[in-house]
Amino acid sequence: MPMVLLNCDKDIPEREKHIYLKVDGEDTRDFLPISNAPTIPGTLSERGCAFCGAKLVIGGVLKDTIQMVHGPIGCAYDTWHTKRYPSDNGHFQMKYVWSTDMKESHIVFGGDKRLEKAIHEAFDEMPHIKRMIVYTTCPTALIGDDVKAVVKRVMEARPDTDIFTCECPGFAGVSQSKGHHVLNIGWVNEKVGTVEPEVTSPYTINFIGDYNIQGDTQLLQQYWDKLGIQVIAHFTGNANYDDLRAMHRAQLNVVNCARSAGYIANELKKRYGIPRLDIDSWGFNYMAEGIRKVCAFFGIEEKGEALIAEEYAKWKPQLDWYKERLKGTKMAIWTGGPRLWHWTKSVEDDLGVQVVAMSSKFGHQEDFEKVIARGQSGTYYVDDGNELEFFEIIDLVKPDVIFTGPRVGELVKKLHIPYVNGHAYHNGPYMGFEGFVNLARDMYNAVHNPLLKLAATDIRGETTTRFLEAAE
Amino acid sequence: MSAEQIDQLYNFCQERYLWQFFSRSWDRQENLDGIFAVAAALFAGEEVKRDTPMEKLFYADAKIMVADFQERFPWIAACKPEEIRSLLSGVKDRLTEIAITKSLNGELTHSLY
Repeated sequence: MPMVLLNCDKDIPEREKHIYLKVDGEDTRDFLPISNAPTIPGTLSERGCAFCGAKLVIGGVLKDTIQMVHGPIGCAYDTWHTKRYPSDNGHFQMKYVWSTDMKESHIVFGGDKRLEKAIHEAFDEMPHIKRMIVYTTCPTALIGDDVKAVVKRVMEARPDTDIFTCECPGFAGVSQSKGHHVLNIGWVNEKVGTVEPEVTSPYTINFIGDYNIQGDTQLLQQYWDKLGIQVIAHFTGNANYDDLRAMHRAQLNVVNCARSAGYIANELKKRYGIPRLDIDSWGFNYMAEGIRKVCAFFGIEEKGEALIAEEYAKWKPQLDWYKERLKGTKMAIWTGGPRLWHWTKSVEDDLGVQVVAMSSKFGHQEDFEKVIARGQSGTYYVDDGNELEFFEIIDLVKPDVIFTGPRVGELVKKLHIPYVNGHAYHNGPYMGFEGFVNLARDMYNAVHNPLLKLAATDIRGETTTRFLEAAE
Repeated sequence: MSAEQIDQLYNFCQERYLWQFFSRSWDRQENLDGIFAVAAALFAGEEVKRDTPMEKLFYADAKIMVADFQERFPWIAACKPEEIRSLLSGVKDRLTEIAITKSLNGELTHSLY
């Protein structure tokens, strides 16, 4: 019974295995949604592609690296205003787009020469940049361009450069998740261990699975600085390419996003003996716990307690102001995967918010084990949700606010339900203590903003024909 | 020590700790073994070895878990040492069952990460 076949899915009954309604007395031994599986024909998936997971989530964040997309120009678009991972060097990575701009003749006759020319041209145009990632895309993978051979030739011709090849065309997997995997494993295979870092502290970590969304990394870096902990590499927020080549020298891998970067943490443990510590970086209680664990690992607990006390004194009253006004708010979280389990208890405990529906685009069953353990009964847990399912679940649970991406955000705005960007944030950062106050502020402003209700009022009265939405 | 007390701790662990949900069954087992062994030692007031990276990791996770138990379940202070041992053993068994032996996660035994 708790696996749910929604009315809108009556013609694609396979969807029942992807939608779970938690009830008291059951757990993940009884039911676990199918996930990381091919999208069912007939469903309107909002997933991205494998290339997206590699380039737009992880690799593209690097602040000193040319991101050469070997494919048609359309694969390269996604920049300044759609990705929000700034950097402290003037946001180099968001200001430029590089592409081999493959056209029909290149597909027919092969793109190797065009790629080689484009790589040289990019390095010539930006002589201060010496690092590059080359990505294959669907067409260049299909025609079999030998990208690694081209890259080898260029690196021989330009010995001061280093190039990483990421062969992860969009069709390589069922969702973005495959791109995370390919980049993680490729990087640890080919690049980790090729640079020795300058170690300046007795306490060293890699901070893995944080992409500096609107400054998350830079906010957390303040904590590590206060604790005297050196971050060898941020994977990959505000990071340099060579930082990530030195990941083998950290004493501890602190993992935030276990979905997009758990692979490299696992491999670093297996190959270099570096332990993996998973933490939640969103929420007061969780962030404090994460700091306590990191400090306990290094035996610097007093420093950790001092930092937590300082941050609580500064930000807790503001959090409480919002909690008082958000208590009882019904929230839906429709994001990639990990934010479901990172957020459901933190908004409940820290803000008194009730999460009534969650949908994951690319989560695996591991993510559903986590979120079902943490989430409430009466809440829907959906894998690879489609648009009609979103409409139906909205009717069932009546959320006051939905944290999701711009695609679904546009959809729910038409229903006059407030939406907060759960991927790139509205006004972040959202991590850490200050960040969670920002999240609370954005949620408060969304829920109490009168604009959406006003927009729903048609002053022309009954004389006009109302536009019907597809779902009605 | 009662089944209800084990339930309380188990439910808390389930919704709180990420170490039970690592990628593969052997990672989960390693965490459960390491953390619960250190937790038992901490409750017993024994010295905990912190020489290797993994020992430091288990200490960090176990220390927080013990502190959480003591703060959120004050009845634990009245438990005798043998009761704490059975309590921890009961919680570990239940976590092992849900996270490993009866988990429906199809990726748990994949040989590669």
